[in-house]
Amino acid sequence: MAQFRLHSAKVLAVTMNGDAVKAKNGSMVAYDGQMAFKKLSGGGEGLRGMVTRRLTGEQMTLMEVKGQGTCYFADRAADINLVQLDGETLHVEASNLLATDSGLRTGTSFTGLRGASQGNGLFTTTVEGTGQAALMSDGTAVVLRVAQGMPLQVDPGAYIAHQGNLRQDFQTGVNFRTLMGEGSGESFQIRFEGDGLVYVQPSERNTLGGEV
Amino acid sequence: MTTAPQVLDVTTLPSNDNVNSYTFCVDLDGQWFLQKGKMIAYYGQIDFNGVGHGHLDRLVATSFHSPLHAGEWVVAEGNGKMLLADRAFDVNSYDLEDGNLTVRSGNLLAFEPSLSLKQSIIPGFVTLIGTGKFVAASNGEVHFVEPPVRVDPQALVGWADCPSPCHHYDHGYLKGVLGGIRAMTGIGGASGEEHQFEFVGAGTVLIQSTEVLMAEQATGAVPHEAGVPGGGQHGGGQGGQSPQMPGQLGNLQRRFGL
Repeated sequence: MAQFRLHSAKVLAVTMNGDAVKAKNGSMVAYDGQMAFKKLSGGGEGLRGMVTRRLTGEQMTLMEVKGQGTCYFADRAADINLVQLDGETLHVEASNLLATDSGLRTGTSFTGLRGASQGNGLFTTTVEGTGQAALMSDGTAVVLRVAQGMPLQVDPGAYIAHQGNLRQDFQTGVNFRTLMGEGSGESFQIRFEGDGLVYVQPSERNTLGGEV
Repeated sequence: MTTAPQVLDVTTLPSNDNVNSYTFCVDLDGQWFLQKGKMIAYYGQIDFNGVGHGHLDRLVATSFHSPLHAGEWVVAEGNGKMLLADRAFDVNSYDLEDGNLTVRSGNLLAFEPSLSLKQSIIPGFVTLIGTGKFVAASNGEVHFVEPPVRVDPQALVGWADCPSPCHHYDHGYLKGVLGGIRAMTGIGGASGEEHQFEFVGAGTVLIQSTEVLMAEQATGAVPHEAGVPGGGQHGGGQGGQSPQMPGQLGNLQRRFGL
Protein backbone atom coordinates (compact mmCIF):
# COMPACT_ATOMS: atom_id res chain seq x y z
CA MET A 1 0.00 0.00 0.00
CA ALA A 2 1.28 3.47 -0.83
CA GLN A 3 2.79 5.30 2.13
CA PHE A 4 1.65 8.89 2.65
CA ARG A 5 3.70 11.30 4.71
CA LEU A 6 4.06 15.05 4.96
CA HIS A 7 7.37 16.15 3.52
CA SER A 8 6.55 19.59 4.92
CA ALA A 9 3.27 21.23 5.87
CA LYS A 10 2.61 21.98 2.21
CA VAL A 11 4.19 19.08 0.37
CA LEU A 12 2.88 15.53 0.41
CA ALA A 13 5.31 12.69 -0.23
CA VAL A 14 3.94 9.33 -1.28
CA THR A 15 6.19 6.31 -1.38
CA MET A 16 4.97 3.66 -3.80
CA ASN A 17 6.09 0.18 -4.48
CA GLY A 18 4.36 -0.76 -7.68
CA ASP A 19 1.02 0.39 -6.36
CA ALA A 20 -1.02 3.45 -7.26
CA VAL A 21 -2.64 6.57 -5.83
CA LYS A 22 -5.24 8.95 -7.18
CA ALA A 23 -4.30 12.61 -7.04
CA LYS A 24 -5.60 15.93 -8.27
CA ASN A 25 -4.63 16.49 -11.87
CA GLY A 26 -1.39 18.42 -12.19
CA SER A 27 -0.50 18.39 -8.51
CA MET A 28 2.75 16.45 -8.90
CA VAL A 29 5.74 18.69 -8.20
CA ALA A 30 8.58 16.17 -8.24
CA TYR A 31 9.30 12.47 -8.14
CA ASP A 32 12.14 10.04 -7.96
CA GLY A 33 12.05 6.53 -9.32
CA GLN A 34 9.76 5.37 -12.09
CA MET A 35 6.31 6.91 -12.28
CA ALA A 36 3.51 6.76 -14.78
CA PHE A 37 0.75 9.37 -14.79
CA LYS A 38 -2.60 8.66 -16.30
CA LYS A 39 -5.56 10.98 -16.38
CA LEU A 40 -8.66 9.43 -14.91
CA SER A 41 -11.71 10.63 -16.72
CA GLY A 42 -14.56 11.28 -14.34
CA GLY A 43 -12.44 10.73 -11.28
CA GLY A 44 -12.03 7.04 -12.02
CA GLU A 45 -15.60 6.32 -11.13
CA GLY A 46 -16.62 4.98 -14.47
CA LEU A 47 -19.19 6.34 -16.83
CA ARG A 48 -21.87 6.58 -14.18
CA GLY A 49 -19.61 8.51 -11.83
CA MET A 50 -18.58 10.78 -14.66
CA VAL A 51 -22.16 11.66 -15.48
CA THR A 52 -23.03 12.09 -11.81
CA ARG A 53 -20.14 14.46 -11.27
CA ARG A 54 -21.04 16.48 -14.32
CA LEU A 55 -24.64 16.70 -13.18
CA THR A 56 -23.85 17.54 -9.57
CA GLY A 57 -21.13 20.07 -10.26
CA GLU A 58 -18.75 18.22 -7.89
CA GLN A 59 -16.19 18.00 -10.66
CA MET A 60 -12.67 16.94 -9.98
CA THR A 61 -10.03 15.97 -12.42
CA LEU A 62 -7.92 13.18 -11.04
CA MET A 63 -4.92 11.33 -12.30
CA GLU A 64 -3.63 7.94 -11.38
CA VAL A 65 0.01 7.78 -10.39
CA LYS A 66 1.62 4.39 -10.44
CA GLY A 67 5.20 3.30 -10.01
CA GLN A 68 8.23 2.71 -7.86
CA GLY A 69 9.70 5.49 -5.76
CA THR A 70 8.56 8.67 -4.10
CA CYS A 71 6.22 11.17 -5.66
CA TYR A 72 5.71 14.68 -4.25
CA PHE A 73 2.41 16.54 -4.49
CA ALA A 74 1.48 20.15 -3.71
CA ASP A 75 -1.16 22.60 -4.85
CA ARG A 76 -1.01 26.40 -4.61
CA ALA A 77 0.87 26.28 -1.31
CA ALA A 78 -2.19 24.93 0.48
CA ASP A 79 -1.62 23.19 3.79
CA ILE A 80 -2.01 19.43 3.67
CA ASN A 81 -3.67 17.15 6.22
CA LEU A 82 -3.47 13.37 6.25
CA VAL A 83 -6.51 11.31 7.12
CA GLN A 84 -6.38 7.60 7.90
CA LEU A 85 -9.58 5.78 7.04
CA ASP A 86 -10.45 2.37 8.43
CA GLY A 87 -13.64 1.50 6.65
CA GLU A 88 -15.30 4.83 7.47
CA THR A 89 -16.58 7.43 5.07
CA LEU A 90 -14.94 10.81 4.70
CA HIS A 91 -17.01 13.64 3.30
CA VAL A 92 -14.90 16.32 1.67
CA GLU A 93 -15.33 19.20 -0.73
CA ALA A 94 -13.95 18.16 -4.11
CA SER A 95 -11.78 21.28 -4.21
CA ASN A 96 -10.10 20.27 -0.93
CA LEU A 97 -9.13 16.75 -1.93
CA LEU A 98 -5.49 16.35 -2.99
CA ALA A 99 -4.83 12.61 -3.11
CA THR A 100 -6.23 9.27 -2.00
CA ASP A 101 -4.95 5.75 -1.87
CA SER A 102 -6.15 3.92 -4.95
CA GLY A 103 -7.84 1.42 -2.65
CA LEU A 104 -10.30 4.09 -1.53
CA ARG A 105 -13.55 4.53 -3.36
CA THR A 106 -14.70 8.03 -4.22
CA GLY A 107 -18.23 9.08 -4.99
CA THR A 108 -20.69 11.90 -4.63
CA SER A 109 -23.42 12.43 -2.09
CA PHE A 110 -26.19 14.90 -1.53
CA THR A 111 -25.60 17.40 1.25
CA GLY A 112 -28.74 19.44 1.08
CA LEU A 113 -28.90 23.10 1.85
CA ARG A 114 -25.46 23.34 3.38
CA GLY A 115 -23.73 23.11 0.03
CA ALA A 116 -25.88 25.78 -1.49
CA SER A 117 -24.89 28.26 1.18
CA GLN A 118 -21.18 27.79 0.69
CA GLY A 119 -21.36 28.17 -3.03
CA ASN A 120 -20.11 24.65 -3.49
CA GLY A 121 -23.22 23.15 -4.90
CA LEU A 122 -25.61 20.74 -3.32
CA PHE A 123 -23.25 17.79 -3.41
CA THR A 124 -20.08 16.69 -1.75
CA THR A 125 -17.44 14.08 -2.44
CA THR A 126 -17.25 10.94 -0.35
CA VAL A 127 -14.15 8.83 0.16
CA GLU A 128 -14.59 5.39 1.69
CA GLY A 129 -12.60 2.28 2.36
CA THR A 130 -9.32 1.63 4.11
CA GLY A 131 -6.26 3.71 3.41
CA GLN A 132 -4.97 7.23 3.52
CA ALA A 133 -6.23 10.45 1.99
CA ALA A 134 -4.71 13.93 1.88
CA LEU A 135 -6.86 17.04 2.29
CA MET A 136 -5.94 20.62 1.49
CA SER A 137 -6.77 23.64 3.59
CA ASP A 138 -6.04 27.35 3.41
CA GLY A 139 -3.86 27.61 6.50
CA THR A 140 -3.35 24.88 9.09
CA ALA A 141 -6.59 22.98 9.52
CA VAL A 142 -8.09 22.40 12.94
CA VAL A 143 -9.55 18.98 13.65
CA LEU A 144 -12.47 19.08 16.05
CA ARG A 145 -14.12 16.12 17.72
CA VAL A 146 -17.86 15.88 17.99
CA ALA A 147 -19.27 13.54 20.63
CA GLN A 148 -22.62 12.87 22.22
CA GLY A 149 -23.79 15.96 24.04
CA MET A 150 -21.00 18.01 22.46
CA PRO A 151 -22.37 19.35 19.20
CA LEU A 152 -20.28 21.66 17.03
CA GLN A 153 -21.34 24.58 14.89
CA VAL A 154 -19.19 25.41 11.88
CA ASP A 155 -19.20 28.31 9.50
CA PRO A 156 -19.98 26.89 6.03
CA GLY A 157 -17.09 28.81 4.48
CA ALA A 158 -14.53 27.30 6.85
CA TYR A 159 -15.77 23.72 6.60
CA ILE A 160 -13.59 21.36 4.57
CA ALA A 161 -14.40 17.79 5.59
CA HIS A 162 -15.87 15.47 8.16
CA GLN A 163 -15.75 11.79 9.00
CA GLY A 164 -17.56 9.44 11.32
CA ASN A 165 -21.15 9.02 12.24
CA LEU A 166 -22.32 12.61 12.12
CA ARG A 167 -25.68 14.15 11.52
CA GLN A 168 -25.61 17.61 10.03
CA ASP A 169 -28.22 20.28 10.30
CA PHE A 170 -28.32 23.59 8.68
CA GLN A 171 -29.15 26.33 11.08
CA THR A 172 -30.03 29.87 10.22
CA GLY A 173 -30.46 32.97 12.23
CA VAL A 174 -31.86 35.06 9.45
CA ASN A 175 -34.31 37.61 10.72
CA PHE A 176 -35.64 41.01 9.96
CA ARG A 177 -32.32 42.64 10.90
CA THR A 178 -30.48 40.63 8.25
CA LEU A 179 -32.71 42.14 5.63
CA MET A 180 -31.99 45.62 6.92
CA GLY A 181 -28.27 45.07 6.42
CA GLU A 182 -27.64 44.69 10.13
CA GLY A 183 -27.16 40.94 10.05
CA SER A 184 -24.69 39.24 12.29
CA GLY A 185 -22.64 37.84 9.42
CA GLU A 186 -22.86 34.51 11.20
CA SER A 187 -26.41 33.71 10.24
CA PHE A 188 -25.69 30.37 8.61
CA GLN A 189 -24.05 27.54 10.44
CA ILE A 190 -23.77 23.82 10.02
CA ARG A 191 -24.52 21.99 13.23
CA PHE A 192 -22.84 18.58 13.65
CA GLU A 193 -24.15 16.06 16.13
CA GLY A 194 -23.14 12.47 16.79
CA ASP A 195 -19.65 10.98 16.87
CA GLY A 196 -16.89 11.97 14.55
CA LEU A 197 -14.33 14.51 13.42
CA VAL A 198 -14.78 17.79 11.60
CA TYR A 199 -11.98 19.59 9.72
CA VAL A 200 -12.12 23.37 9.52
CA GLN A 201 -9.70 25.81 7.90
CA PRO A 202 -8.72 29.21 9.33
CA SER A 203 -10.14 31.05 6.36
CA GLU A 204 -13.53 31.47 4.79
CA ARG A 205 -14.38 30.91 1.19
CA ASN A 206 -16.50 33.62 -0.29
CA THR A 207 -19.93 32.36 0.33
CA LEU A 208 -23.41 33.49 -0.24
CA GLY A 209 -24.05 32.86 3.44
CA GLY A 210 -21.09 34.97 4.52
CA GLU A 211 -22.75 38.11 3.26
CA VAL A 212 -25.79 37.86 5.48
CA MET B 1 5.45 7.44 8.88
CA THR B 2 2.25 9.36 9.47
CA THR B 3 1.89 12.45 11.53
CA ALA B 4 -1.65 12.26 12.76
CA PRO B 5 -3.16 15.70 13.21
CA GLN B 6 -4.06 16.61 16.74
CA VAL B 7 -7.75 16.15 17.40
CA LEU B 8 -9.27 18.78 19.66
CA ASP B 9 -12.58 18.98 21.42
CA VAL B 10 -14.27 21.37 23.77
CA THR B 11 -12.15 20.27 26.74
CA THR B 12 -8.78 20.11 25.00
CA LEU B 13 -9.08 23.36 23.07
CA PRO B 14 -6.91 26.05 24.62
CA SER B 15 -8.62 28.67 26.69
CA ASN B 16 -8.17 32.19 25.30
CA ASP B 17 -5.07 31.14 23.43
CA ASN B 18 -3.90 30.27 19.94
CA VAL B 19 -4.77 26.84 18.56
CA ASN B 20 -2.16 27.35 15.83
CA SER B 21 -0.70 30.48 14.26
CA TYR B 22 -3.87 31.09 12.28
CA THR B 23 -6.60 30.19 14.73
CA PHE B 24 -7.49 31.62 18.11
CA CYS B 25 -9.84 30.04 20.63
CA VAL B 26 -11.99 32.26 22.84
CA ASP B 27 -13.33 30.70 26.04
CA LEU B 28 -16.58 32.59 26.03
CA ASP B 29 -18.55 33.17 29.17
CA GLY B 30 -20.49 36.34 28.64
CA GLN B 31 -19.93 38.67 25.73
CA TRP B 32 -17.26 39.43 23.18
CA PHE B 33 -17.24 41.78 20.24
CA LEU B 34 -16.14 40.26 16.97
CA GLN B 35 -15.92 41.36 13.40
CA LYS B 36 -18.41 39.74 11.05
CA GLY B 37 -17.41 36.49 9.46
CA LYS B 38 -14.34 35.78 11.59
CA MET B 39 -15.93 32.96 13.57
CA ILE B 40 -15.13 29.62 11.96
CA ALA B 41 -16.58 27.18 14.50
CA TYR B 42 -17.89 26.96 18.03
CA TYR B 43 -18.94 24.55 20.74
CA GLY B 44 -21.66 25.46 23.18
CA GLN B 45 -24.54 27.87 23.15
CA ILE B 46 -23.60 31.14 21.49
CA ASP B 47 -25.78 33.80 19.90
CA PHE B 48 -24.56 36.34 17.39
CA ASN B 49 -26.28 39.67 17.15
CA GLY B 50 -25.52 42.89 15.32
CA VAL B 51 -24.46 45.69 17.64
CA GLY B 52 -27.70 47.46 16.86
CA HIS B 53 -29.64 44.74 18.67
CA GLY B 54 -31.91 46.21 21.34
CA HIS B 55 -30.82 44.41 24.45
CA LEU B 56 -27.16 45.15 23.75
CA ASP B 57 -27.70 48.87 24.16
CA ARG B 58 -26.00 49.06 27.50
CA LEU B 59 -22.96 47.10 26.41
CA VAL B 60 -22.63 49.11 23.23
CA ALA B 61 -22.92 52.33 25.21
CA THR B 62 -19.89 51.43 27.32
CA SER B 63 -17.68 49.59 24.85
CA PHE B 64 -18.46 50.57 21.29
CA HIS B 65 -18.09 54.13 20.12
CA SER B 66 -17.76 53.90 16.41
CA PRO B 67 -20.96 54.23 14.41
CA LEU B 68 -18.87 53.79 11.27
CA HIS B 69 -17.96 50.27 12.18
CA ALA B 70 -21.33 49.29 13.59
CA GLY B 71 -22.19 47.44 10.40
CA GLU B 72 -19.11 45.21 10.59
CA TRP B 73 -19.28 44.16 14.20
CA VAL B 74 -21.38 41.68 16.09
CA VAL B 75 -21.63 40.61 19.70
CA ALA B 76 -21.17 36.94 20.57
CA GLU B 77 -23.10 36.08 23.67
CA GLY B 78 -23.26 32.85 25.63
CA ASN B 79 -21.13 30.02 26.87
CA GLY B 80 -18.70 27.90 24.95
CA LYS B 81 -15.52 27.87 22.95
CA MET B 82 -15.33 29.86 19.78
CA LEU B 83 -12.65 29.64 17.09
CA LEU B 84 -11.65 32.80 15.25
CA ALA B 85 -9.62 33.07 12.07
CA ASP B 86 -9.19 35.44 9.18
CA ARG B 87 -8.20 34.42 5.64
CA ALA B 88 -5.36 32.26 6.96
CA PHE B 89 -3.49 35.28 8.28
CA ASP B 90 -1.47 35.04 11.48
CA VAL B 91 -3.56 35.91 14.50
CA ASN B 92 -2.30 37.00 17.88
CA SER B 93 -3.92 38.05 21.11
CA TYR B 94 -2.78 41.05 23.08
CA ASP B 95 -3.47 42.09 26.64
CA LEU B 96 -3.94 45.72 27.42
CA GLU B 97 -3.63 46.93 30.97
CA ASP B 98 -5.11 50.33 31.39
CA GLY B 99 -3.56 51.18 28.07
CA ASN B 100 -4.42 52.20 24.56
CA LEU B 101 -3.65 50.66 21.24
CA THR B 102 -4.48 51.81 17.74
CA VAL B 103 -4.82 49.23 14.99
CA ARG B 104 -5.88 49.13 11.35
CA SER B 105 -9.61 48.49 11.53
CA GLY B 106 -9.54 45.55 9.14
CA ASN B 107 -6.93 43.76 11.25
CA LEU B 108 -8.92 43.68 14.46
CA LEU B 109 -10.83 40.41 14.84
CA ALA B 110 -12.36 40.55 18.29
CA PHE B 111 -12.12 42.20 21.68
CA GLU B 112 -13.39 41.82 25.21
CA PRO B 113 -16.09 44.28 26.25
CA SER B 114 -13.92 45.50 29.12
CA LEU B 115 -12.08 47.36 26.38
CA SER B 116 -13.69 50.19 24.59
CA LEU B 117 -13.45 50.70 20.83
CA LYS B 118 -13.14 54.18 19.41
CA GLN B 119 -12.43 55.48 15.99
CA SER B 120 -8.92 56.86 15.70
CA ILE B 121 -8.59 60.31 14.24
CA ILE B 122 -6.38 58.64 11.63
CA PRO B 123 -8.90 57.39 9.06
CA GLY B 124 -9.02 53.63 8.76
CA PHE B 125 -7.71 52.97 12.25
CA VAL B 126 -9.49 52.21 15.50
CA THR B 127 -8.27 52.70 19.06
CA LEU B 128 -8.88 50.32 21.95
CA ILE B 129 -8.77 51.81 25.41
CA GLY B 130 -8.89 50.11 28.79
CA THR B 131 -7.98 46.74 30.23
CA GLY B 132 -8.63 43.46 28.51
CA LYS B 133 -7.81 41.09 25.70
CA PHE B 134 -8.16 41.52 21.97
CA VAL B 135 -7.27 39.50 18.89
CA ALA B 136 -5.72 40.98 15.77
CA ALA B 137 -4.52 39.53 12.48
CA SER B 138 -1.43 40.34 10.50
CA ASN B 139 -0.06 39.22 7.19
CA GLY B 140 2.91 37.27 8.46
CA GLU B 141 4.30 37.55 11.95
CA VAL B 142 4.01 40.74 13.95
CA HIS B 143 7.17 42.52 15.09
CA PHE B 144 7.36 45.04 17.87
CA VAL B 145 9.63 48.03 17.54
CA GLU B 146 10.16 51.06 19.71
CA PRO B 147 10.15 54.67 18.57
CA PRO B 148 11.83 56.68 17.24
CA VAL B 149 11.15 54.70 14.09
CA ARG B 150 9.96 55.26 10.54
CA VAL B 151 7.65 52.62 9.16
CA ASP B 152 6.52 51.78 5.67
CA PRO B 153 2.82 52.66 5.41
CA GLN B 154 1.86 49.22 4.11
CA ALA B 155 3.70 47.36 6.85
CA LEU B 156 2.08 49.24 9.72
CA VAL B 157 -0.37 47.23 11.77
CA GLY B 158 -0.78 49.54 14.73
CA TRP B 159 0.83 51.26 17.67
CA ALA B 160 0.42 51.40 21.43
CA ASP B 161 0.92 54.16 23.94
CA CYS B 162 2.92 56.46 21.68
CA PRO B 163 1.57 59.62 20.07
CA SER B 164 -0.05 59.25 16.66
CA PRO B 165 2.41 59.21 13.75
CA CYS B 166 3.13 61.87 11.20
CA HIS B 167 4.08 61.57 7.55
CA HIS B 168 7.72 61.74 6.60
CA TYR B 169 8.96 62.42 3.08
CA ASP B 170 12.55 62.02 2.02
CA HIS B 171 14.08 65.39 1.45
CA GLY B 172 15.72 64.59 -1.88
CA TYR B 173 12.40 64.02 -3.50
CA LEU B 174 11.04 67.35 -2.39
CA LYS B 175 13.94 69.48 -3.55
CA GLY B 176 13.62 71.48 -6.74
CA VAL B 177 11.39 71.00 -9.72
CA LEU B 178 13.06 67.80 -10.88
CA GLY B 179 12.69 66.28 -7.45
CA GLY B 180 9.04 67.18 -7.47
CA ILE B 181 8.47 65.58 -10.84
CA ARG B 182 10.35 62.52 -9.72
CA ALA B 183 8.26 62.19 -6.60
CA MET B 184 5.01 62.69 -8.46
CA THR B 185 5.64 60.53 -11.49
CA GLY B 186 8.41 58.17 -10.52
CA ILE B 187 10.34 59.31 -13.65
CA GLY B 188 14.02 59.31 -12.98
CA GLY B 189 13.81 56.58 -10.41
CA ALA B 190 11.72 56.32 -7.31
CA SER B 191 12.49 53.62 -4.81
CA GLY B 192 8.95 53.48 -3.55
CA GLU B 193 10.29 54.19 -0.10
CA GLU B 194 10.19 58.00 -0.13
CA HIS B 195 7.25 58.17 2.18
CA GLN B 196 7.08 56.75 5.69
CA PHE B 197 5.14 57.10 8.89
CA GLU B 198 7.28 58.54 11.64
CA PHE B 199 6.76 57.61 15.27
CA VAL B 200 8.29 59.48 18.18
CA GLY B 201 7.81 59.32 21.92
CA ALA B 202 7.50 56.31 24.19
CA GLY B 203 5.51 53.27 23.17
CA THR B 204 5.47 50.30 20.82
CA VAL B 205 4.87 50.08 17.09
CA LEU B 206 3.50 46.90 15.52
CA ILE B 207 4.60 46.00 12.02
CA GLN B 208 3.80 43.00 9.88
CA SER B 209 6.36 41.09 7.87
CA THR B 210 5.00 41.93 4.45
CA GLU B 211 3.89 45.01 2.59
CA VAL B 212 0.85 43.26 1.24
CA LEU B 213 -2.15 44.69 3.00
CA MET B 214 -5.18 42.63 3.70
CA ALA B 215 -8.14 43.77 1.70
CA GLU B 216 -9.51 46.77 3.48
CA GLN B 217 -13.08 46.60 4.46
CA ALA B 218 -15.28 49.56 3.86
CA THR B 219 -15.37 51.41 7.10
CA GLY B 220 -17.60 54.27 6.14
CA ALA B 221 -16.45 57.85 6.38
CA VAL B 222 -15.83 60.31 9.16
CA PRO B 223 -18.37 63.03 9.80
CA HIS B 224 -18.36 66.19 7.66
CA GLU B 225 -17.02 68.56 10.19
CA ALA B 226 -14.39 71.23 10.37
CA GLY B 227 -11.23 69.96 12.01
CA VAL B 228 -11.88 66.28 11.37
CA PRO B 229 -9.08 64.71 9.29
CA GLY B 230 -10.55 63.25 6.13
CA GLY B 231 -13.80 64.98 6.90
CA GLY B 232 -13.86 66.60 3.47
CA GLN B 233 -14.92 70.12 4.42
CA HIS B 234 -14.59 71.42 0.92
CA GLY B 235 -17.89 70.50 -0.56
CA GLY B 236 -17.94 66.80 0.15
CA GLY B 237 -15.71 64.49 -1.84
CA GLN B 238 -16.13 61.53 0.48
CA GLY B 239 -13.99 59.09 -1.42
CA GLY B 240 -15.34 55.62 -1.73
CA GLN B 241 -18.88 56.29 -0.62
CA SER B 242 -21.60 55.55 -3.05
CA PRO B 243 -23.83 58.50 -3.87
CA GLN B 244 -26.95 58.79 -1.81
CA MET B 245 -30.02 57.68 -3.63
CA PRO B 246 -33.28 59.42 -2.96
CA GLY B 247 -35.33 57.34 -0.61
CA GLN B 248 -32.34 55.82 1.15
CA LEU B 249 -32.08 56.25 4.85
CA GLY B 250 -28.52 57.53 4.58
CA ASN B 251 -27.20 55.12 7.19
CA LEU B 252 -29.67 56.63 9.58
CA GLN B 253 -31.01 53.20 10.39
CA ARG B 254 -27.81 52.41 12.26
CA ARG B 255 -28.42 55.15 14.76
CA PHE B 256 -31.80 53.69 15.52
CA GLY B 257 -30.33 50.30 16.04
CA LEU B 258 -31.89 48.65 13.06
